[in-house]
Amino acid sequence: MLEQIRQWIERRRKGRTGNIAPENTPTPKTAGDQLLSECRLIVLDLETTGLNASKDEVIAVGAVAITGGAIDLSDQFDLILKRPELDITQTVLIHGIGPEALTRGHELEDALLFLLEWMNGDPILAYHTAFDQKFLEKTLKAELGYTRNHTWMDVAELLPAFFPDAQTGGKGLDHWADHFGLEVSARHHAASDALATAELTLIALNKARKNGLKTLRELHDKLRYQRRLKNMHRM
Amino acid sequence: MAAANQDNSRPQNTRSIMVFLQAHAPFSSMDEDHLAHFAEHATLRFYADGDVVLSPEDGVVNRFYVVKQGRIRGERHNEKADKTETTFEISRGECFPLAAIIGERPTRTLHRAVGDTFCLSIEQDAFVTLISESEPFRDFCMRGVSSLLDQVNQRIQTGAMASMSSSFSLSTPLERYALRNPIVCSPDLPVRKAVARMHENNVGSIVITDESRHPIGIFTLRDLRTMIAKDTGTLDTPVRQLMTRDPRSLTAQADAFEAAMLMAENHFAHLCVVDEENRLIGMVSESDLFSLQRVDLVNLARTISTATHLRTLVSLRTDVSRLVDAMLAHGADSGQIVKMITTLNDVTVRRVLELNIKKNDPGIPFTWLTFGSEGRQEQTLLTDQDNGILFQTPEGMTEDQVREKLLPFARTVNDELADCGFTLCKGNIMASNPKLCLSDREWDDWFIRFIDASTPQNLVYSSIFLDMRAVFGPTDSLHELLEKVLTRIRKNALFQKMLAGNALQRKPPLTMFRNFRYVSDGKKRNLDLKRQGLAPFVEAVRVFALANGVENANTLERMDELVRKGVFDAKDANAWKDAYSLIQAIRMRAHQEMLERGEELTNYIDPDDLNQLDRRILRESFRQAQRLQQKLEVTYQL
Repeated sequence: MLEQIRQWIERRRKGRTGNIAPENTPTPKTAGDQLLSECRLIVLDLETTGLNASKDEVIAVGAVAITGGAIDLSDQFDLILKRPELDITQTVLIHGIGPEALTRGHELEDALLFLLEWMNGDPILAYHTAFDQKFLEKTLKAELGYTRNHTWMDVAELLPAFFPDAQTGGKGLDHWADHFGLEVSARHHAASDALATAELTLIALNKARKNGLKTLRELHDKLRYQRRLKNMHRM
Repeated sequence: MAAANQDNSRPQNTRSIMVFLQAHAPFSSMDEDHLAHFAEHATLRFYADGDVVLSPEDGVVNRFYVVKQGRIRGERHNEKADKTETTFEISRGECFPLAAIIGERPTRTLHRAVGDTFCLSIEQDAFVTLISESEPFRDFCMRGVSSLLDQVNQRIQTGAMASMSSSFSLSTPLERYALRNPIVCSPDLPVRKAVARMHENNVGSIVITDESRHPIGIFTLRDLRTMIAKDTGTLDTPVRQLMTRDPRSLTAQADAFEAAMLMAENHFAHLCVVDEENRLIGMVSESDLFSLQRVDLVNLARTISTATHLRTLVSLRTDVSRLVDAMLAHGADSGQIVKMITTLNDVTVRRVLELNIKKNDPGIPFTWLTFGSEGRQEQTLLTDQDNGILFQTPEGMTEDQVREKLLPFARTVNDELADCGFTLCKGNIMASNPKLCLSDREWDDWFIRFIDASTPQNLVYSSIFLDMRAVFGPTDSLHELLEKVLTRIRKNALFQKMLAGNALQRKPPLTMFRNFRYVSDGKKRNLDLKRQGLAPFVEAVRVFALANGVENANTLERMDELVRKGVFDAKDANAWKDAYSLIQAIRMRAHQEMLERGEELTNYIDPDDLNQLDRRILRESFRQAQRLQQKLEVTYQL
């Protein structure tokens, strides 16, 4: 996969990519009649310098794609972004990316354009979307002036929607991963967390199919209904 | 594994899948590039408990799977009982389906997930790439025999295990049994003190050692009993006078099977375990080996060898069959089992001879010879008598006069052996045949004619008379005879070539398209495991052995010897030994099943009665026989 990126960046350097401007990137898709058994979904995880979207920055993007109900490992995204100017001493312990790895990373603008192209406008799933969405949108806007809205779905909502009785002992990714006995190879590594999130997504999609859900819209509606239900309980 | 972790040019998830794969066979022995190829082309799928993963209705299999988490159960519908049976379970790190993807056909088994299950899988294309580029992967998937042999052996064992429930293996090195420090004493210690020491330590035997800790004798409770009963000593007698001298010993690397065989052959219950310098390091008793099991090899051998009546011997034969079952259960391979059967058969033959000598001594020393499978120590439960007598003519007697005395004796022995279950030989290859009761000079003449005038009829007999062994009586004269015979064969290139040509008469039962070729008796789809399966190995190996001066008659040992002499490549020989042993194992299991059903034993099986894996293995084993025959063709330009 890195070879692919290298080639793509090479092409860009040679100036032929001038026409791949942010506005020429694939159009985001909405949750419509796409069949869950066929469509492509992006499962994404970001590593950041901290939790505060207004001052912290993205340093790594990991993502895998689910196509036709399976994680296709030839279709994944695993990049450390080049942000040497950032002070990462605060979170370096959690995600394990040191300043040296960051300087070897990819030019931010290149990487983001490649990400947009790779995602191909497909719906994005993440664990606690609010966090990833905020960071990604902020970065895309700041670096590329890109402001289009993508379809996001929260795996943290998806799981309790299909497994309401699961005794997970908490709401975190770790809780659900433990509940289903998943092995996460390197927790807090963007790509590894993305894979764990994608595995949980597969489990939820398997259940969704058994509950008779066929399209992306039905899945999206189910989540919205779930959210409303939760808000009602809260009131 | 560390290398894969540090290699940052690959995405984290690819690396983690490689690390996962590396923990399991065959991936553990594959190159990193090939693992990366797998990981980069894999898809990961989830199956909830009870979901169908792969079904016969899916058509030709086009993916190769590895279980990453959870389990897969194989289900087959049993039409007779009209119920679904679990045929296998595949757990974490294991692959499926093998036979179907290689055979490019649908699976015959429904694969169902047990619990939350994730499987990695690659498409046929990536699978083919790996097969063609990675040798360990190819070996695992294609050559089958060695890696799949383990599985088959395992299945054969679990079948026999059902009634035994034990995880004991006869291949376990002795060091696992001989951990405890043996109780020792010096030769001068009075029996009273030696017994006191045994009592304190709650053991039944004590080893007598010299100053350098070399075992020089052993004293057991049995010896104490004998001493008191026969009044051969008092409690103050030095133990040296009552001990059994020069106890048998093995090194710690020898396995439990060797120990059991040694005990069975010599009818004793204790063995010393020594280091390379013959210093005592431990002690193994019969009960250490068999206490948890009801396998009573030593006791059975002892009972046979001390039986006082023919009818006792006859009744003991059923115990031999029970023992075969137990041996299969305890992980003995087919080579070990045929040797064990041969050992017990030898003991029986010897006892029949001893009882007859006691009753009616012909008065002339002789050597009792066995030929064919018994000569090769490759007997199974279905066994013919092939025997003869070798004698030295006493002064003042003619050979015919000796025969007059020996033949009636041999007749009785042949008949009594038949009562014990050794079928009378239809071709009259028996000691009571005047043509096979010969003096050393006559035997030598006989072999000269046999080798120099090699008629087609002679060649048929080569499988009998060129695999020869002494079971009873002096062995020197046979050894001299064999040496002469081997020298003659080594010098006679024409005879070798004719033997080789004869060995090629029996083709392994495979068609050009690698299907089974059946015995043409019209009714059943039969394979003759002995004549079509084992014989090609036995006969080809015999030619190489005789041509290269190997005196041993056992096929597996002949192959080992041929590797040592540089005639066979070690890898080839291993594949051939595996294949040969496997056919033998399938044959023996079939015999046990026939016994259970009370049927007459035959060497025929219908491959349709075998499961898919066994069928594939059998086919591969026959292919190995073809390879061995090809070597014969090339060597003798046939």
